[in-house]
Amino acid sequence: MNDLEISDEILSFDPDTLERLPVRKSAVLQKFAAQSNRRAMSIVREMADRNDILDPDAVDRRLIRVHCEMQRISEEFQHGQRVAELLRPILEALRSTGVVRPIRIVDVGCGTGFVLRWLAARGDLGNDVELVGADYHPALIGEAMRLAKKEDLRVTFRVANAFRLDPPGSFYLSTGVVHHFRGEGLPAFFRSHDRPETRAFAHFDFLPSPMAPFGSWLFHAVRMRDPLAKHDGVVSAIRAYSGDELVRAAGDGAPGFVRAMYSTRLGILPIPRAFHSLVGLRPEYREAFLRALGPRRSRLGAWT
Amino acid sequence: MTLLIVTLYLLAVVDATASGYSAAAGRSALIHKGPHYRKSMVRGFVLGQIAAAISLSLVLWAVKTAAHPDAFCSDLARVWTRMLQVYLPFSLIILTAFAFRLAPSVDVRCLTSTLVFGPLAGIRPLVAIAGLLWGLWAAPRPEIIAGGAGILLLWLSLERVLGIPYRPKESV
Repeated sequence: MNDLEISDEILSFDPDTLERLPVRKSAVLQKFAAQSNRRAMSIVREMADRNDILDPDAVDRRLIRVHCEMQRISEEFQHGQRVAELLRPILEALRSTGVVRPIRIVDVGCGTGFVLRWLAARGDLGNDVELVGADYHPALIGEAMRLAKKEDLRVTFRVANAFRLDPPGSFYLSTGVVHHFRGEGLPAFFRSHDRPETRAFAHFDFLPSPMAPFGSWLFHAVRMRDPLAKHDGVVSAIRAYSGDELVRAAGDGAPGFVRAMYSTRLGILPIPRAFHSLVGLRPEYREAFLRALGPRRSRLGAWT
Repeated sequence: MTLLIVTLYLLAVVDATASGYSAAAGRSALIHKGPHYRKSMVRGFVLGQIAAAISLSLVLWAVKTAAHPDAFCSDLARVWTRMLQVYLPFSLIILTAFAFRLAPSVDVRCLTSTLVFGPLAGIRPLVAIAGLLWGLWAAPRPEIIAGGAGILLLWLSLERVLGIPYRPKESV
């Protein structure tokens, strides 16, 4: 099964120091060869290297371009609006029930920060909200800062582990990140949320369905130019977690939150969405959140 | 005949302008991209005029050099009518989807992408070829086949040409 993303394999950071580690091209090629993934091998083979170490500058430039293309799909699928629609009732619940201000929204693995920049530009979330994006990758964070500055947006980006920020987030958010945590890494990811200051989280990721790999292939083939983006887009859809898996892992890792899947189907139609989201709240916010959701509460799955 | 030419011209210009949008998509990571897209769509429109002028010149030259201009024009009209039988419904579906794009619901707007814009963008070159073949079936003259193929190639290459200015940049 082809379940490795090229972008995961061509980058390596020390999780403690966040120092960038050299990546051997031959080692990456070997991993894809073990999966008989010729497409990925051909993409990696064409990447620049110096004495078998992948050229970090070339990798950075490539990934910035890939993120720019990914943003196009996010825009087409109205992802900014979708996040804002879910965030507003959560923020209303936090405000009405009590929360330390400013409410710090942290985007985990923000990349070039599309979601936060969109929220800063158009989200209308209120002046008591602080937007912070965190990612291990300095080049992506540099690009996020450049873009935010160019449009004079009130948002901060840090090269950091999102869960080690000081002060920590009141709310953690991510898009297309959760499926990168495999095996025990998934409950460990949720365990990082379970700290007193954190009041809620919402993680958006691909919704697996029989149509998802084809749909993802079609959209990436039509909309993306970079072969790496096309490859990883399809693999992401293949290895995305089901709602049950996410709710279970969140329960194991962060039992202090009530959890539910949001927006898995398109109303009463049997059409699955491209993305679903896992919502977690401290139990005291649940009723206020449901009230604030209004008619959209029907989109919420069962709480656990 | 004039109505056929004008209809094909309008469709072609809309397609060229949309190609300008498409060439610019995914090239800027800014949030406010109005000027970015406008610039590229104007480029598409202008390039569309040039391609239309080349196409029309080719047709006029073919008519002028034809042994029997009246019969040639009659064949051309049959080919164009059949081409429009394919291109007009395709355009109508896309224009209808644009109307749904104005809906206030995020879900409805997304559906236009999932069900219409994405898949139809994928099959657009095939529809263009199918339309030409369906047209040529009515009058398969060698000069019309060669001219039609050349003009189609010209139009299908517009997006690639419009993408050239963006290539050296990583992000705008």
